Amino acid sequence: MVLNSLDKMVQLQKNTANIRNICVLAHVDHGKTTLADCLISSNGIISSRLAGKLRYMDSREDEQIRGITMKSSAISLHYATGNEEYLINLIDSPGHVDFSSEVSTAVRICDGCIIVVDAVEGVCPQTQAVLRQAWLENIRPVLVINKIDRLIVELRFTPQEAYSHLKNILEQINALTGTLFTSKVLEERAERETESQVNPNSEQGEQVYDWSTGLEDTDDSHLYFSPEQGNVVFTSAIDGWGFGIEHFAKIYSQKIGIKKEVLLKTLWGDYYVNMKAKKIMKVDQAKAKKPLFVQLILENIWSLYDAVLKKDKEKIDKIVTSLGLKIGAREARHSDPKVQINAICSQWLPISHAVLAMVCQKLPSPLDITAERVERLLCTGSQTFDSLPPETQALKAAFMKCGSEDTAPVIIFVSKMFAVDTKALPQNKPRPLTQEEIAQRRERARQRHAEKLAAAQGQVHAEPTHDGSALEASPEGEQPTGVGQQLESVTPNPEPQEGDSQESFIAFARVFSGVAQRGKKIFVLGPKYSPVEFLKQVPLGFSAPPDDLPPVPHMAYCSLENLYLLMGRELEELEEVPPGNVLGIGGLQDFVLKSATLCSLPSCPPFIPLNFEATPIVRVAVEPKHPSEMPQLVKGMKLLNQADPCVQILIQETGEHVLVTAGEVHLQRCLDDLKERFAKIHISVSEPIIPFRETITKPPKVDMVNEEIGKQQKVAVIHQTKEDQSKIPEGIQVDSDGLVTITTPNKLATLSVRALPLPEEVTQILEESSDLVRSMEQLTSSLNEGKNTQMIHQKTEEKILEFKGKLEQHLTGRKWRNAVDQIWSFGPRKCGPNILVNKSEDFQNSVWPGPAGKALKEASRYRDLGNSIVSGFQLATLSGPMCEEPLMGVCFVLEKWDLSKFEEQETTDKWNKEQSDLIKGGQEEIKTCYVRDENQEQQDDCSEPFEKRTAQKGESVLTDCYGPFSGQLIATMKEACRYALQVKPQRLMAAMYTCDIMATSDVLGRVYAVLSKREGRVLQEEMKEGTDMFIIKAVLPVAESFGFADEIRKRTSGLASPQLVFSHWEIIPSDPFWVPTTEEEYLHFGEKADSENQARKYMNAVRKRKGLYVEEKIVEHAEKQRTLSKNK
Amino acid sequence: MSIFTPTNQIRLTNVAVVRMKRGGKRFEIACYKNKVVGWRSGVEKDLDEVLQTHSVFVNVSKGQVAKKEDLISAFGTDDQTEICKQILTKGEVQVSDKERHTQLEQMFRDIATIVADKCVNPETKRPYTVILIERAMKDIHYSVKPNKSTKQQALEVIKQLKENMKIERAHMRLRFILPVNEGKKLKEKLKPLIKVIESEDYSQQLEIVCLIDPGCFREIDELIKKETKGKGSLEVLNLKDVEEGDEKFE
Repeated sequence: MVLNSLDKMVQLQKNTANIRNICVLAHVDHGKTTLADCLISSNGIISSRLAGKLRYMDSREDEQIRGITMKSSAISLHYATGNEEYLINLIDSPGHVDFSSEVSTAVRICDGCIIVVDAVEGVCPQTQAVLRQAWLENIRPVLVINKIDRLIVELRFTPQEAYSHLKNILEQINALTGTLFTSKVLEERAERETESQVNPNSEQGEQVYDWSTGLEDTDDSHLYFSPEQGNVVFTSAIDGWGFGIEHFAKIYSQKIGIKKEVLLKTLWGDYYVNMKAKKIMKVDQAKAKKPLFVQLILENIWSLYDAVLKKDKEKIDKIVTSLGLKIGAREARHSDPKVQINAICSQWLPISHAVLAMVCQKLPSPLDITAERVERLLCTGSQTFDSLPPETQALKAAFMKCGSEDTAPVIIFVSKMFAVDTKALPQNKPRPLTQEEIAQRRERARQRHAEKLAAAQGQVHAEPTHDGSALEASPEGEQPTGVGQQLESVTPNPEPQEGDSQESFIAFARVFSGVAQRGKKIFVLGPKYSPVEFLKQVPLGFSAPPDDLPPVPHMAYCSLENLYLLMGRELEELEEVPPGNVLGIGGLQDFVLKSATLCSLPSCPPFIPLNFEATPIVRVAVEPKHPSEMPQLVKGMKLLNQADPCVQILIQETGEHVLVTAGEVHLQRCLDDLKERFAKIHISVSEPIIPFRETITKPPKVDMVNEEIGKQQKVAVIHQTKEDQSKIPEGIQVDSDGLVTITTPNKLATLSVRALPLPEEVTQILEESSDLVRSMEQLTSSLNEGKNTQMIHQKTEEKILEFKGKLEQHLTGRKWRNAVDQIWSFGPRKCGPNILVNKSEDFQNSVWPGPAGKALKEASRYRDLGNSIVSGFQLATLSGPMCEEPLMGVCFVLEKWDLSKFEEQETTDKWNKEQSDLIKGGQEEIKTCYVRDENQEQQDDCSEPFEKRTAQKGESVLTDCYGPFSGQLIATMKEACRYALQVKPQRLMAAMYTCDIMATSDVLGRVYAVLSKREGRVLQEEMKEGTDMFIIKAVLPVAESFGFADEIRKRTSGLASPQLVFSHWEIIPSDPFWVPTTEEEYLHFGEKADSENQARKYMNAVRKRKGLYVEEKIVEHAEKQRTLSKNK
Repeated sequence: MSIFTPTNQIRLTNVAVVRMKRGGKRFEIACYKNKVVGWRSGVEKDLDEVLQTHSVFVNVSKGQVAKKEDLISAFGTDDQTEICKQILTKGEVQVSDKERHTQLEQMFRDIATIVADKCVNPETKRPYTVILIERAMKDIHYSVKPNKSTKQQALEVIKQLKENMKIERAHMRLRFILPVNEGKKLKEKLKPLIKVIESEDYSQQLEIVCLIDPGCFREIDELIKKETKGKGSLEVLNLKDVEEGDEKFE
């Protein structure tokens, strides 16, 4: 059946006016796929008995198991009414929130949509979401109120109750449409206002403020759903029936003898028929008359259900004969009433007819695309249509015309890529051989047989011929004759299909204009492509072959390799696709990532990006079970990224592969795909690593119970003093204001370092201008070498000056005098948010590019040592003392740098060396002590025997038993910085997300509850104009965000959807090392006080993860350990 | 003698003994399991949570209490609690199962962290995560040696992991500035130690920027110092050559 109708489909595709591109949208479980099943069964693709149970469009295994749709998929259906034949490209979409991105891809390529609403559940959150999406894409909706049978069977409503219930639902939906409409009008108005503010000359006369908001002037009656307009259908997809008002109006106009037009208007609404007068009257509540809808329609259906459920044989027969239906004996005898109802109703009120008739009548064909929609599609971001180049504006006409002539530009939009098993592609599928092919093969086999016989007869003579025939036969694959063998697959494209990769990508696309022909060359325009740029580069009216084009970003040129008709799970090959159709395109995987615009003219702008209702927020780290399978994972993730419109994949600096999905269900699907299709390896999933930063603050003025520090008497807690001592080892002097003085292990150099907290603004400036700092660093280093080849670019110089000025502006006060000029380095990695300031007198060096050649001679003596100091600083800022996380917002001041002893040594050593040259290596004292310095990178790496090094030791003065002096200096500087930090109040900084939440007013309270539970802070809350939606802005620590999206959705039953974006670092106010010291604190928190210290919790978690020492008891209570008994 | 009933037996399986020899005599104290190490590191502050009893023994398992004279001659005091504290901090400890377990686990993690910190995937120049390294270490059945430093063990682990997966130490980026006349000769000697030479410049001096394996740093450093007699210089540009920043698949 399907195969036969392929030609018919091709035929229908050419008649653009009779094409309907529609999608089915609804909340999860409102019956989209079941409805689709019913429509498909009307084409005979699946049996009508299986409709609703098969869920044909859910082709994935997990879709069938879970019972929800997870992807949008298209099918082409044929529908004939009267003498018109229609082609309906139906797209089934998922209803679950996690897959709303799939809805976006479906909506983009449709002209109309069917909104399905459950008659019992009414309007649900996703219904709102999909309505909004349809609205934003400017496509026209029709309404299907589904599951009417539930009103009868489950809720046991009377027809009257059912009617008022249905009316209610309709009102809710119309109210939603109304809000969408008003918010749009208000937005437009606001835009107009801002415009008029920009050029106030235009409307000078209008001084009076117009309060009317323009709502009254705009007609919105056509937007609403109402049965009398014919855009509402009542159905029960599971029982296979459905009707519009029109159907009954036709019947009753004959029966009662009232004009059809009158009935159409009155069948829905509070009207009743006066049978005697044959007149329709307005319902008078007092008389308690039943409305027409109840009397003429619902009651009939109710009585049918009643009869069947009660198994009233006679009554059923009566109804069936009166309706003129024929029920098969099998169904009539069936004991399950559902089967009977299905059999009767699907004949009486076939759902496919009701729905498809409405679709064909009410929804626009591709020809009717509105100018407004075209403009919207073409204008990216804030651009207005008028600002586009004229070549682009000309395309609008092509859109509107949707012409299929050869001259019409081909415009195709690819809304997503989906992966198909290569074996499932039509060209690779086994297909029955034609008669000729069978004959050919038979002939060949016969020949071979004859040759074999001949060869056997004259072995010696036939030797060369035998060889020849063997060669000849080998390309055929030596097929033995056999009946089964004739169905062997024939592959017209014998090229290897990428060896092991079994997935091919098919683009899910629609032709907006022109004819897509196989093999046609076409431009592929990425979402960031700009036609303006292209037109700048290429002169107007170019005719050069596209291969010579200058490379333009986000543009490629390729040919359409394979075109397919999408038939649910199946694909059918096509030669060409006329405009207005949905199609699949193969062979684009190297050109298109997720979505793209294909056009035969490069002047076409890419379509506006898809409007995703849900942004990916659930983050997990993915790793292969076996580390050697890393390459497969990366490859698999790349494929997944292409196949899913919504997923995001990141490789973080830590080496983690992070998968960001829209929700837990989506995550599960992505992981399944990764495991079974794309990577085919075992993977493990974990929470992503949460980064922290370490910093210091000014000493606090008040303690934890808000008492001023200093007034209180310290409680002599034993451990307090003990801890203070243990922090700082001997040999390091610390004075009262935090100056740390430390000497290198060989006692030759002494460093004094102080740590200061940087003001917040400075940290921010440093963060923002890290790129600038990096380039500056390169510049200075090349200058320092005396190479002045690289002239400073004028612009960079200005930028540097501006940056310097900004720093100076914020670093004011006595403490910071001259500090900016004395900045020596930034760290970590020479561009981070920490500063090293050099305040020692005898050595000047700064990061700022000064006049070239300034005092370089003098500096070079110290350069090596200076580098060591900077390296030490870099190492110290890379991993702080608290939990080895990078520092942020700390300034280290090198106050003194005493090298006098080192210089002395150098001179004496020179003399010594001369001496030792005379007496060959005799006096050299070989020390065998080898102190292992834990913090010295280079030293640890030496694995060669120690003797070798001591033998070389005499050669260099800079090396002694503690390793090279530069290494010592690095380690000492690092230690100095660490201790300088530790004497100051240390704090952790947590990464923060900003969190935008859209929520309706009734779930606002729950949103707040979830936020506060997770340590979030609400910054602002405002109401969206014209709707009852609130927009809440909050900040939330990244550490608390795992599972946040899921929780907030669960708690608000999906009415609030958060979006998380990383924003900044924030200091956690509590001190991770805090213990109660004053009397009050002691009373308030008790001795341990570890109950609510957030910072300590974070710190210990990180330390544990890294295998660092954690101050935790292995066993809390000694007595409560399990007592092991020893058997005697 | 006390009556030997199950209730008044203290089983030695649940006692951790800390021993100390002083003045030619052996002293022991009875402690709770899994607590002594905590006391030593300062986490546990309550002495009663550590000691089973404040008395000092000569032999805990036999229940022989130390004589007062012996205590005075050995410690100079007869304050049992003071002596207990001394023994606790200085005596030989039996490490209990949980203590050993946490220590080994900590070292295992530490090793994995060091390996992850030092190494990259040579194909992507990105580091591996600690969890992945831990799993790989378990796959090769690496057992932690408690008496070797974690850094030494980490270097060993890297060698062993190389056989199973693509892992390499992150290269170090260095810059040498060598005098011209010795430069050429020296370069030949340095060649086997250098992984990649990124740039060479022969203007006034020979300047080379290159990537090396960090293990060779000392050799190179000494070679340069020796050959150029202190004229050549060496500068560490980057301790680890890894990809920075996040990468988004597009």
